Amino acid sequence: MPPTESPPRSADDDAPAAVGWSQLAQDVAVTLWPAFLAAAVATMFFFAFFDPSLLGAGAVPPRWLQSRMAGYAVGFFFFWSIGTLSSALTLYLVRTAHQRQAPPAARTRGPM
Amino acid sequence: MSGPAGPVAAEPTSLYAAQQKIYPREVDGRFDRLRRLAVWLLLGLFYLLPWLPWAGRQSVLFDLPARKFYVFGLVFWPQDFFYLTWLLVIAGVSLFFCTALAGRLWCGYACPQTVWTEVFLRVEYWFEGDRHRRIRLDRGPWTRGKILRKAGKHTAWIVLALWTGLTFVGFFTPIRQLGAEVLALATGPWESFWILFYGAATWGNAGFLREQVCVYMCPYARFQSAMFDRDTLIIAYDPARGEPRGSRARRADPRAAGLGDCIDCRACVQACPTGIDIRNGLQYECIACAACVDACDSVMDRMGYARGLIRYTSQQALEGRGTHVIRPRMLVYGALLGLLIAGFFVSLALRTPVGLDLMRDRNALYRTLPGGRIENVYLVRIVNKDTRRHRYVLQAAGLPGIVLDTDAREHVVGPGDVYSVAARVRVPAAAAHGSQLIRVQVRAVDEPRFAVEREARFLGP
Repeated sequence: MPPTESPPRSADDDAPAAVGWSQLAQDVAVTLWPAFLAAAVATMFFFAFFDPSLLGAGAVPPRWLQSRMAGYAVGFFFFWSIGTLSSALTLYLVRTAHQRQAPPAARTRGPM
Repeated sequence: MSGPAGPVAAEPTSLYAAQQKIYPREVDGRFDRLRRLAVWLLLGLFYLLPWLPWAGRQSVLFDLPARKFYVFGLVFWPQDFFYLTWLLVIAGVSLFFCTALAGRLWCGYACPQTVWTEVFLRVEYWFEGDRHRRIRLDRGPWTRGKILRKAGKHTAWIVLALWTGLTFVGFFTPIRQLGAEVLALATGPWESFWILFYGAATWGNAGFLREQVCVYMCPYARFQSAMFDRDTLIIAYDPARGEPRGSRARRADPRAAGLGDCIDCRACVQACPTGIDIRNGLQYECIACAACVDACDSVMDRMGYARGLIRYTSQQALEGRGTHVIRPRMLVYGALLGLLIAGFFVSLALRTPVGLDLMRDRNALYRTLPGGRIENVYLVRIVNKDTRRHRYVLQAAGLPGIVLDTDAREHVVGPGDVYSVAARVRVPAAAAHGSQLIRVQVRAVDEPRFAVEREARFLGP
């Protein structure tokens, strides 16, 4: 394996060292993106079996659902928002569980 | 082991730190040319396919408003969704197969994220110059020149992104009509919305997020290691040859100075779109784009060293053993893939291009005709999934003396059309009691193998 110490930089390498996304950006990305993928699949499967113009609780579909394009779009965003909610909850639960499992070093010291 | 791939330090101050931009350096070389070729091919296919006519209509059209999918000569209906699922499974297994064989070829050459990023980088290069100029431009004050360059870049990006959005929507609604509507600024609300939505996604993903998507958002990047083994093709730095690294005069003999072949010029690091140092070993951020290979090869050429200090190789080969292409994993993936593809085409070839739906007339359960026969009425839907017009006849079977009668004897259904007709099924009173199953068949007169049968319930006294 190569040595671990970082090599000296050559003169033209004046760009800042690349660091990744902030925690917030990562959180937003991992919440929205899996939900987006799941929504795409869900929309495909759902509307393969149900024609949006035949949906609706009553005999006649609500007015906003009468164009199929509107039905697909509303369906997609519905699935996406539910997926986002699920992702966000998962992230929250994983995060909070992790905090509880943190070594109790900070707590054993007691209040200042 | 060094740990650039380790978790981000969890210091509270770093939580909302601004992201530092990566300025990938332009490279030229074998693999860069290969990628450009792939980009031209794939984007050419994407942008041109919807404009290509086929038998009087768009060659590839997933007509969502009409719920019909046209793929060249084939017409798919929502009932044929099974084929789409099958195709997705084939795509998934192909990805497994290719990954096990050749690593992340998909990421480096074919992923839409890579392909559009490549194009957007090219546009950025036209307006802002090479890596060094871009860094200087971003650091410099907002002069007239900087504003013009940035405005020009974004205008070109936005035009490209909107064109991409239009093309994307053009796969789902007829593109010629859509193009005319765009020129007249008369697109429907949902078409406009999706063009803008997809355009904005392209602009953001290819212009700003770039390879950070691969690092933070791509699930494949995380689970691809499960498909890797020691014989998989990877991009790797050869530490045995390169270390100890260090700068030296061009004519100096590295062996005499106690140095390896790596001159530590960091060309590989600067070329990397995800900002990693390949010399630290295989990292999940590596999308195997081979930009570092091209960058290093050009340096090796200049130094007069052999190429391939960074190269496509396998873990086995790096350790001085032979690479096995044929191994159990490849055989299993390959056999599975072969079966799936063969099955797909066989079932597509055997597909009956006619569909039949039966619905009972809800007004009356049954009717007794003069002369004592019992009649049930059904609403019959004939779906012609073929690309040609056909004449169909309907027949009923399953009870003695059963007769099916429609107003016309033959039903002419155009390609891709649905045709509804009321069918009166009559059975002698002696044969009709209670609820019995009958069979109704539709058959193309001109193509007898185009026939399907459905069961229906016949009600009598």
